[in-house]
Amino acid sequence: MTMRQPAIVVLGLLVAFLVGPFVVIVAASLSAGDTLAFPPQGFSLRWVAKVFAEQSFRSSFALSMFLAVFATLAALVLGIPASYAMSRYSMPFAEAVRTVVSSPIIVPGIIVGLALLRYLVAPFGINVVVALFLAHTALVLPYCVRVVSASLDNLRSDVEEAAILLGSSRLGAFFRVVLPNIRNGVLAAFILGFVTSFDQVPVSLFLSGPGVQTLPIDMLGYMERTYDPSVAALSSLLAFLSIGIMFVAERFIGFSRYV
Amino acid sequence: MFQNRAEALTLALPAATFAALVFVLPVIVLLSGGLHVEGRWTLEAYQRFFADPLNRLVVWRTLELGALVTAAAAVIGYASALAIVDLPAAGKSRMIGLVVLPLMISPVARTYAWLVILGRAGIVNKALMLIGLTDEPVRVLFTQTAVFIGLLQLFLPLMVLSLVSALENMPNDVIPAARVLGANWLQIFVKVVLPLTREGLVTGGTLVFAGSVTAYITPAILGGSKVLTLVTLLYQRVTIANDLVSASVIAFILIVMSFSANLLLNRIATGRSLK
Repeated sequence: MTMRQPAIVVLGLLVAFLVGPFVVIVAASLSAGDTLAFPPQGFSLRWVAKVFAEQSFRSSFALSMFLAVFATLAALVLGIPASYAMSRYSMPFAEAVRTVVSSPIIVPGIIVGLALLRYLVAPFGINVVVALFLAHTALVLPYCVRVVSASLDNLRSDVEEAAILLGSSRLGAFFRVVLPNIRNGVLAAFILGFVTSFDQVPVSLFLSGPGVQTLPIDMLGYMERTYDPSVAALSSLLAFLSIGIMFVAERFIGFSRYV
Repeated sequence: MFQNRAEALTLALPAATFAALVFVLPVIVLLSGGLHVEGRWTLEAYQRFFADPLNRLVVWRTLELGALVTAAAAVIGYASALAIVDLPAAGKSRMIGLVVLPLMISPVARTYAWLVILGRAGIVNKALMLIGLTDEPVRVLFTQTAVFIGLLQLFLPLMVLSLVSALENMPNDVIPAARVLGANWLQIFVKVVLPLTREGLVTGGTLVFAGSVTAYITPAILGGSKVLTLVTLLYQRVTIANDLVSASVIAFILIVMSFSANLLLNRIATGRSLK
């Protein structure tokens, strides 16, 4: 079918609206000027260099990386057995378990952050990093359960039943038959969890303390203080990083099928 | 299906206990803070909250923004999704890639871009002055319009993606059939496309609406303290006034909004699997 002209116009506008801001950010970050501007004033990499030199960005980046990796791993350790139980067993209270585990997706993040700060961190004197870790794990858990459950539901259960009939223990059947078969689903869950945690603002907003900030919170704060293009440069770098991760994930595991 | 119930619970309980302790319990305690004031159960906090015209304005504005963003996303979403499903296979997957792309970029970065575009010295103002539509820079930033644009850009991909998948599930000869039978494009859309893709519209609409009313970053950056929404109001009440009672009331309103949207979504999902 040949494309009609209105369709081309519509898609052109859509791409301009969705991708345009990203182009603006990249261009602004290459500016030589002192303030955020588009079109950029001249060309330089000084703002990109400044991102790497800025101590606070480096430490908040490290914290965000740490949280994204370990909260997602923890969520997988909790989430995979739970998904397996919900998918393969006739379990009592299955609906209740599903609701509790997926509730962090329904309740707005800012409420989660506030509730944790007031009723978990403050009364029990929990360290801020630990609190952030717990909050991010709870936040990522529903995504992990959803993606892993979908992979398990797509895997026929007679494969593992056959393994068990042939003398494998149930645990052995899980590690040798089920897990290798849902590997791509687990990887997709990891990437989704990682991105969710890394970009998370509302949950971390109340929990970030002085000196302990995740990268997006740090960026928000910097933005309020200064109007130079370094946040633009940092945003571009992060965007290229996520595009790279997505590209690789799409290439090797067909990521978009899992989201 | 395995029947061992004890084993099933052993597998599921760590996750359920974790979510209950770290998440459900603190949120319930937070919500009860608005209902249990000075040692008794009362709705006073809610009465006081709604008695303040500023609070009512913020509730109304939040709902209005959610509705406007959802409606705009539906209109743009249909136009785009109809064009996308018409593309040849290679073009279609590239186009879907471009729609998914912004979802992978940090919302902080995506919202930040609008500061550059909509600011006093931004592109929009430069263009307007260049073509002589205005002599002075127009103030877009820190208005409801800016928040609307930011939210629309943030959540439009979700609508487009769910409409694309709804349109792909629609038998592809129904539009030509309606055309042969003499229907014009408006009749085709209202009588054929809309009923057959209703599920996709409601799914996308729910995601966009829930996302818009609970967003923090966009109203915080593009609206500032001039265009408060429920979420930014909650943040302000807590950080400026340490007012946990109001925060609890706002939290409850937000949860009701987000929960009803999700209930609708689940209703649709189960309706589909029952069929």
